[in-house]
Amino acid sequence: MMTVITDNLPVFVVIAPLFVAFILPTFARRLRLVEGLVIIANTLWIAGAAYLASIVLSQNGIPITYALGGWQAPWGIELKAGSLGALFILIIAGVSLMVSFFARNNLTEEVGSYERVARFYVLILLLGGALAGMAVTNDLFNVYVLVEIATLSCCGMVSARKHARAAEAAFTYLILATLGSILVMGGIGFIYIITGHLNMAFASQELGRVWQNSPHVVWMAFSFFLVGFGVKAAVFPLHVWLPDAHSTAPAPASAILSGLAVKGYLICLLKILYNVFGQTLMQQYAVQRILVIVGTLTIMAGSILALTQDELKRRLAFSTVAQVGYIFFGFSLINTKGLSGALFYLVSHAVIKSTLFLAAGAMISATGEGKISGLAGIGRKMPITVAAFTVASLGLIGIPLFSGFIGKWYLLLGSMEAGSVIPAVVIIAGSVLCAAYLLPVIRVAYFEPTPEVDVKDPGLSQKVALIVLAAAVVILGILPGPFMELANMAATELLVLK
Amino acid sequence: MKILLEKLIINYPYFAAVILFIIGALTVLTRSNLFKKLIGINIMESGIFLMFVAAGNIRGGAVPILEEGSSRSVYINPLPSALMLTGIVVSVSVTAFALALILRLYKEYGTTDARRIAEIRSGVLKK
Amino acid sequence: MRDFILKQVASIILPFVCIYGFYVILHGAVSPGGSFAGGIIVGLSFIAFSTVYGIEKCRAKLPEKALVWTESFGTLWYGIMGMAGIIKGAPFLANKLAGIDVGVPGKLISGGLISFIGIGVGIRVASTIITLFFTMMEEEL
Repeated sequence: MMTVITDNLPVFVVIAPLFVAFILPTFARRLRLVEGLVIIANTLWIAGAAYLASIVLSQNGIPITYALGGWQAPWGIELKAGSLGALFILIIAGVSLMVSFFARNNLTEEVGSYERVARFYVLILLLGGALAGMAVTNDLFNVYVLVEIATLSCCGMVSARKHARAAEAAFTYLILATLGSILVMGGIGFIYIITGHLNMAFASQELGRVWQNSPHVVWMAFSFFLVGFGVKAAVFPLHVWLPDAHSTAPAPASAILSGLAVKGYLICLLKILYNVFGQTLMQQYAVQRILVIVGTLTIMAGSILALTQDELKRRLAFSTVAQVGYIFFGFSLINTKGLSGALFYLVSHAVIKSTLFLAAGAMISATGEGKISGLAGIGRKMPITVAAFTVASLGLIGIPLFSGFIGKWYLLLGSMEAGSVIPAVVIIAGSVLCAAYLLPVIRVAYFEPTPEVDVKDPGLSQKVALIVLAAAVVILGILPGPFMELANMAATELLVLK
Repeated sequence: MKILLEKLIINYPYFAAVILFIIGALTVLTRSNLFKKLIGINIMESGIFLMFVAAGNIRGGAVPILEEGSSRSVYINPLPSALMLTGIVVSVSVTAFALALILRLYKEYGTTDARRIAEIRSGVLKK
Repeated sequence: MRDFILKQVASIILPFVCIYGFYVILHGAVSPGGSFAGGIIVGLSFIAFSTVYGIEKCRAKLPEKALVWTESFGTLWYGIMGMAGIIKGAPFLANKLAGIDVGVPGKLISGGLISFIGIGVGIRVASTIITLFFTMMEEEL
């Protein structure tokens, strides 16, 4: 029994959430059962992910390859669960377990009837399965299909509320994201046309031989991938859909969208850039320069736009844009420190931003006020929520002993190693701006006089979710241990391909 | 020049794909009617589908179905067509979802024009 | 009496359309077409039925619960068939490796698991397309 699980682990971590997702609609009316099943499934999932991570760690990062249906690599679809995949699946499973804890007993007021809540859970699990698939797949067309599943479930989550605003945000998101996936499909098409392979390893081998015959096609493929994943991951000039979509979604959905969904597309881009094109081609086409420019622009623009917002969730949404800039910038550093910093930052941002969005959702539903000024004195009424928000904000700013610091530190070291000074300055400026847009929220919450209104404290499971996530922010900061090791291995593995 | 033109004529499916792609992109980006945006997305997708299917085509190749006693030795590559079937399924679901959203927006605002909707909403917000 | 001809023609044609859909699904392993195309044809036969006779009549034949169950079942069927490989000690979705008889190429019963998976997918596609139609017509979005 154990060997069966061990042998098939890469496929189990992907299909387990999908399986449960399709059982759920059959008993949508029994909400307790649905919620219990989602939590059990997520717990099993995180156990599987931890087991996978431990296997990869004990193998020193040698990936487990898995041929679906027994068809070997160039013909069949191959899954490759390496350190990158293990790290990312672990974080998806962890965050979505906490989010489903938070959503317990809490969704009906935001989403509506029991059936709608059950469908919402279906979307969460589908998104989780798709993201896990992106983390382990080694096949280009699989990437497209999984990206499309993730996009559709994200749009479904955005439109879960019955507002007209939600439908509008979801429509904009759907159109732009589909534009992005069409571009991604086009890029895959170009690679397939010049190499004849869809498997990443084989395609990159072939690409190394033939790229000189059709340099313009390679250019087109690069630009299609960059713009396509750029739209989906919301880098600066293409971020227009993100603030609306992430701020109109219900709180658990915003947490998952900002924390995880955006990261999935970044992981895909990373895999395609480093595993298919390889660093030589990236340098040949100066793609890393584009990444630096876009990354630094995104950091600055996102931070400055976040400063101008007075709605809490919109401010957090713009902050997500800025943090995507850090990760994007990290991808441009072709050295181990920079890449592992970017990956660790990705992980820590997933935890931090989901904490922030969940805490913000709890605060907003307690006070009924979306503006930051409406949160005056709330810190004394809901201490746990605001404390979690504070811990996560400190983590996002990059105070030492919190998880954001380590990622930013490695990014700084990496950019020093790459000899680029301006991005290093931008990283520090971004931290200062981050403090400028998050600390006022905490000030308002703790130090402004309390108006005499009844504030509804969140329930027990919400508190548990917030405490665990905030604790994770601190633990990742003090003992990054296995996570940093996985990120390091992943970076080394990405850089193997010349 | 002559070689370029020759290449263009030989590779006419790709040329058509590019034209479709550009028409679609233009429609998505410039039209404010939500239905037209959706149709633009679909046209763009057809452009990419055409590119894939053209990539799998081999001149003079037979349909890739194995038949007993067939003497054909050249078959077209079935993989891109199979992939595009997946693409079509995805595009169907995107279209259905987008239509549902448009219906919801129409019920709320009474129009399917993005600009009108923005106007109505800003008016609502001013009040 | 107004749409007498339409109703008569529909009542003759639609059963055959539905059966043709199943034909396409079952022959997915040996000829062009397959579960998606066949499922769409089956679904369209029901959609045509409800446009001719009214949605209520179609709803009476296909209650919402049945649609939800077939939809979930179709997808789960795929997973269960994939598990067959794992139970036999081969990878997920393994076909011949799992010791399943793949038959003679060109015959109806060939391709091992593929035809079985196709049935599940076809049912799922059909119920999805019907659900989409109903949701949009009844505007319960």
